Amino acid sequence: MGKTFIIDDREIAFDGSKTVLQIARENDIYIPSLCYHPKLGPASKCRVCVVEVEGIRALQTACTLMPKEGMKVNTSSERVIDARRMVVNLLLANGNHNCLSCEVNGACELQEAAYRLGIEIPAFVVEEREERDESGVFIMRDPGKCIQCGRCIEGCNRLVVNEVLDFGYRGGHTKVICDGDLPMGQSSCVQCGECVQLCPVGALIEKKGMGKARTWETKKVRTTCPYCGVGCQLELHVKGDQIIRVTGVEDAQPNQGHLCVKGRFGYDFIYSKDRLTTPLIREKDGFREAGWDEALDLVAGKFKQIIKESGPDAIAGVSCARSINEDSYNMQKLFRGVIGTNNIDHCART
Amino acid sequence: MKKNYQERVENIIRKYPDARSAVLPVMQLIQKESGNNLSASGIDEAARTVGMSRSGIFGIATYYTMFNTRPVGAYHLQVDTCVPGFLHGADGIVKHLSEKLGIAVGETTKDGMFTLSTVQDLASCATGPVIQVNDRYFENMTVEKADKLIESLKKGKEPENDTSMNVVSECGILLNDRTKKDCRTIGFYKKNGGYRALKKALAMKPADIVNEVKEAGIRGRGGAGFPAGMKWSFLPQDDPRPVYLICNADEGEPGTFKDRQIMEFNPHLLIEGIAISAHAIQAAKSFIYIRGEFSWIADILETAIEEAKKDGCLSHTEIVVHRGGGSYVCGDETAQIESLEGKRGNPRVKPPFPANFGLYGCPTVVNNVETLSNVPYVITHGAEAYKKIGVTNNTGPKIFGVSGHVNRPGVYEYPLGTKLKVILDAAGGVKGKLKGVIVGGLSVPILTPAEANDLSLDYDSCQKAGTALGSGGIMVINDTVSIPELALRTIEFYQHESCGQCVPCREGSLVIMKKLKNLVDGRGTKEDIDLVLHLCANIRGLTLCPTGEAFSMPIQAMVAKYRPEFEALVK
Amino acid sequence: MTNSFKEFENAKLFFCIGTNMTEAHPVASYFVKRAVKKGATLIVADPRRQPLADHAKIFAQIKVGSDIAFLNGIMNVLIAEDLYDKKYVEENCEDFDSLKAMVKEYPVEKASKLSGVPVETIVEIARTMASIKPGMLCYTLGITEHTCGKNNVMSTSNLQMLLGNIGKQCGGVNPLRGQNNVQGACDMAALPAVFPGYQSVADPAVREKFMKAWKVASLPDKPGLMIPDMMAGLPTKKVRAFYIFGENLANSEPNITHVEHELSSAEFIVCNDIFPTETTRFAHVVLPAAAWCEDEGTFTSSERRVNRVRKIKEAPGMAKPNWWIFKEIAKRMGQEWQSEGAGEIWDNEISMLAPAYGGIKYSRIEQDGLQWPCPNVEHPGTEFLHRDGKFSRGKGLFKGIEWTPPAEVQDKEYPFVLSTGRRLFHYHTRTQTSRAGLDMILPEETADISPADAEKLNIANGEYIRVSSRRGSVKVRARVTEQIPGGMVWMAFHFRDGNANWLTNNVFDPETKTAEYKACAVKLEKER
Repeated sequence: MGKTFIIDDREIAFDGSKTVLQIARENDIYIPSLCYHPKLGPASKCRVCVVEVEGIRALQTACTLMPKEGMKVNTSSERVIDARRMVVNLLLANGNHNCLSCEVNGACELQEAAYRLGIEIPAFVVEEREERDESGVFIMRDPGKCIQCGRCIEGCNRLVVNEVLDFGYRGGHTKVICDGDLPMGQSSCVQCGECVQLCPVGALIEKKGMGKARTWETKKVRTTCPYCGVGCQLELHVKGDQIIRVTGVEDAQPNQGHLCVKGRFGYDFIYSKDRLTTPLIREKDGFREAGWDEALDLVAGKFKQIIKESGPDAIAGVSCARSINEDSYNMQKLFRGVIGTNNIDHCART
Repeated sequence: MKKNYQERVENIIRKYPDARSAVLPVMQLIQKESGNNLSASGIDEAARTVGMSRSGIFGIATYYTMFNTRPVGAYHLQVDTCVPGFLHGADGIVKHLSEKLGIAVGETTKDGMFTLSTVQDLASCATGPVIQVNDRYFENMTVEKADKLIESLKKGKEPENDTSMNVVSECGILLNDRTKKDCRTIGFYKKNGGYRALKKALAMKPADIVNEVKEAGIRGRGGAGFPAGMKWSFLPQDDPRPVYLICNADEGEPGTFKDRQIMEFNPHLLIEGIAISAHAIQAAKSFIYIRGEFSWIADILETAIEEAKKDGCLSHTEIVVHRGGGSYVCGDETAQIESLEGKRGNPRVKPPFPANFGLYGCPTVVNNVETLSNVPYVITHGAEAYKKIGVTNNTGPKIFGVSGHVNRPGVYEYPLGTKLKVILDAAGGVKGKLKGVIVGGLSVPILTPAEANDLSLDYDSCQKAGTALGSGGIMVINDTVSIPELALRTIEFYQHESCGQCVPCREGSLVIMKKLKNLVDGRGTKEDIDLVLHLCANIRGLTLCPTGEAFSMPIQAMVAKYRPEFEALVK
Repeated sequence: MTNSFKEFENAKLFFCIGTNMTEAHPVASYFVKRAVKKGATLIVADPRRQPLADHAKIFAQIKVGSDIAFLNGIMNVLIAEDLYDKKYVEENCEDFDSLKAMVKEYPVEKASKLSGVPVETIVEIARTMASIKPGMLCYTLGITEHTCGKNNVMSTSNLQMLLGNIGKQCGGVNPLRGQNNVQGACDMAALPAVFPGYQSVADPAVREKFMKAWKVASLPDKPGLMIPDMMAGLPTKKVRAFYIFGENLANSEPNITHVEHELSSAEFIVCNDIFPTETTRFAHVVLPAAAWCEDEGTFTSSERRVNRVRKIKEAPGMAKPNWWIFKEIAKRMGQEWQSEGAGEIWDNEISMLAPAYGGIKYSRIEQDGLQWPCPNVEHPGTEFLHRDGKFSRGKGLFKGIEWTPPAEVQDKEYPFVLSTGRRLFHYHTRTQTSRAGLDMILPEETADISPADAEKLNIANGEYIRVSSRRGSVKVRARVTEQIPGGMVWMAFHFRDGNANWLTNNVFDPETKTAEYKACAVKLEKER
């Protein structure tokens, strides 16, 4: 063992590259934190991750604390718990932290901290804050649930560099603003949703999934975005056959958790009532519904007839640049191997 | 926008290594050019000019109090109602103006002439009540004078400001003879021996200056009392990055109005101090971060810098005067650095400390005005002579600002270690019966008359007495004052000034304020008193910067020491 | 892309030409913007002052269709000032003289005149690119959608080879592909001259391999038709049956009137699709297909990464996976294919037949995908191509390229140049995005024009105007924006109404058959 330090009587090795909070998490030692996010680094603002270090008078924030050889860290002394309780109680005191119908109930980091600290009812006053901002097409903002941790702002400015969000005002009036404090829908926000993905509480919510599922009812399925050629990795949060929300897969190549408006919110076309659900065969001015056998026999028959009459090169096909590789493969196999022509192309150029 | 706007903007930007640092001055310029308002188009203009986002600019505009994102009248009347103002009767002025103009606080007269606001601390403590009208102060206000002021403004004329107060300089080092008309000029300063120390210092090795200052034991006069020479010696050696010196002139601690005495009347003393210190730490660029409300003092400094430059005193360092935007927290050194970088004035997490990672990530020293003004004396007369002033470990002269219930409020330059009694006597004694005294600015625990009786005014003695010397802003409170009301005023200030970054300060100050308000309004409970104490005890030491301490300690002291007064309010 | 997205964040220099990344590839643009925040230098060349330009150190507002002249001008400076990478050129490239002779004909003054970019800017770009190495060159359809598209592409490689930027991490030539699986459709050989993995149909050994694998007696050896020629063959009956899989050609191809004439004259059209579209109107048989989320499979992204897509629900009604539809047609034409499902098709056929995917198996891409070439199952995939300047053909081939103007240029009658592109809130012909709520953000097409032209023609922002070309005319709202220089109109083809393709010119690059979407001549009128 190289250098070690002690957390709650456990001797743990460290190499100097990680904070006490990171090391504690890796070792399943619970330290609540609200402003820290692995993608953004420490902010040291919520002060809920404080720990006691032997020999240091003030409590230290674990998100910024680097271990030192022989350092003794206590994550659950009475002083630590008192301080954390006060912080969480203060956050609960201001705003409207009602979990009943909150979309992130069960995945909320403030709720988790309160639960772990045994806070059943907020200890102080309850203050109503601003009303919800429902002006964004896909994102709902609830300032009453905001804890001003600043993750959304950091994400907007540092990660996706859309530079829409920032803190406005000061002190107890501090709030997250869009542009010059405009409703989100009137601002320059492009609804990429990075802020939603980073929010530790229910202050930023995907509107599409509201009221559709509790967080624990959904399973996550990884897939690839169906829009541009970047190939972003998505996590579909699915209940039954319904997508409730979409998030970017953290740490995945190439998008590292980031998405754009289309990737995050453009998913529900698959449920459209306009979907084609049955083979159609032209009849005079319109189409009539048909079974697969009839439709496929018609196509195969027509192809065979044309090959016989005019040769295979009288048939041409265009494949799809959106469907899966295996579909394109089979289509070109059909054209080359079955029909016998190289008249196969796709819109590679638009 | 006026014709030469672009040129002026470029001149502002040129002063800074990074264009973003120009954001406050650019916004100030835009606001001034747009009838004292910063509209949405002004915000867009500022964003374009310095290359920031609209929300970034709006965030700055609403962080600093001096930007009017909502329209104000032609004359914005701002009455300082913070603790010193309160002790000097500011509430009466507000009430009178409100009745006279027919508007409530926050409103504008129908003709668009006047907007009435209250404001938190203008560093005009001994000369309170004070009304700030746009960027000018009108001090020593009375109801009659306020009437005259309004009448005069209605005619488009601004009357003379009455800055009179008692000035005593026992040491004769920091305060000069302000009755002389030319007291601010370089000629006057040099006639009295000015800039000789600089000449001497420039012939010395930087390390020798650092040692001399270290030896003299100048302790930081901003409030923390940290030895200045030691601070300088923390700078990394042989580092390729530029070093910056920032002179902290953001005098904002309620009860404190000492630095402005030096800057306004003896500007060359400060400039000489900066010039010597810049040489000592090898800073090619120095900034004076002056609170935005002191705009006329900033002008005085700029004039003096021009004089000194012409005189060849500043060939080794460039001094830039940077006006703040209205924020108490920017008096904290890391917040000040952030602010100077063109951001909201949120304090940074330490470590890293500014000596290693300060302005633009470079080694930086931040020293208070009064601290730097002590340096020329040390160089001229040597550390030994300096140490003869004051007491052991607490050396040199100190300006004490006395406000509140004394007969002659004013500034008193005495050696450190002088008895409080001496200062209060010099200030003409207490008006009425003494109830308590705050000796180091609003952020230090109040002392009862018994505790204050034999107090020596130096860092160590004050600490021993359970308080702190802080900035040396002495507020005297007589028995006409309700301590719960004083506590409410106190927390109102910090709640207003909290940067909002960390939870215990932002939310804690809000909850404490609400609880104290309930008590003062007769709606409080005994549990509220206990909760206030509980919060104070837990907030102390838990916040990102010292602001949490700055309100939890004085509030705790007020409640603990005068608890019966609080309990008497519970019905 | 020769290189990878993960290199963006650490790149020191970007040269982005003809790529509207913040709208068309938003996530890629995040990494570029982040790199710029960390100190990278960004050079943007585009006829529009598009959003990426706000982050650029140098913005060159080139005239539509002047790319080659502009790039030749930069290379002229690099050679004249001796700033190019001589060692790299000597060791890794061929035919430098051909390039040198050609760019000599493009002194900066001439390049400046043709491209509209000031001489100083061209010089500054050349010097900047020479001083910060390596640099990543990124482009999108702004380069390819011209009658000289192929030449444009070759000019970008000329530039990067001259700078020694190919075969290096954080360098390369990086076309960002517009559609999620356009790379894959190419790789899978939905192209007329190759088998999967870019193996030539003319190569007897390759044909032999596929004949054996597919159990067929022969395979065609001459290249087939490309889309424009297929469609041109419909009215003449040279092409009697046309199979359109998931494409909305009636909206996406240039000159809609002409396209619809071709489609309506077809003898037999089959469409696989998930929605009825403007194109399925012309079909004789429409086959309902499974959509994204309704089938397992893979997409291949711009960076050559084969990523998994997964099924979460059944296709609606009778809709079926496309691979199944093709398999069923094959069966009815006498062939029984073995592979059942995408996993078998990939693992047992594609990965076996195309050497570049030999090491890519479904079991290896459960999490992050693999980048081809990936020849065997131990291979980690290839982050960037041509490592150390080793090109696939041996040495990198320079070719001097002459600038040619667009096929149709402005004249008295049609004094504006129309260029087209995509907008952030929609995708292609909106078949998907219009059914996912994005119309709420962007409900209709606009024609973007400059404030100067708006003033000249007395057109207010949001007002209806008429844009006409020799091929058609549309009524559309004007969007007056500083992004557009005088004399230019910019439109997209997301909406049927106001679709730019009523106007665009159906002329093509002679080799790649890419249409000139980026340039044609139009006139503007206030709509009364």
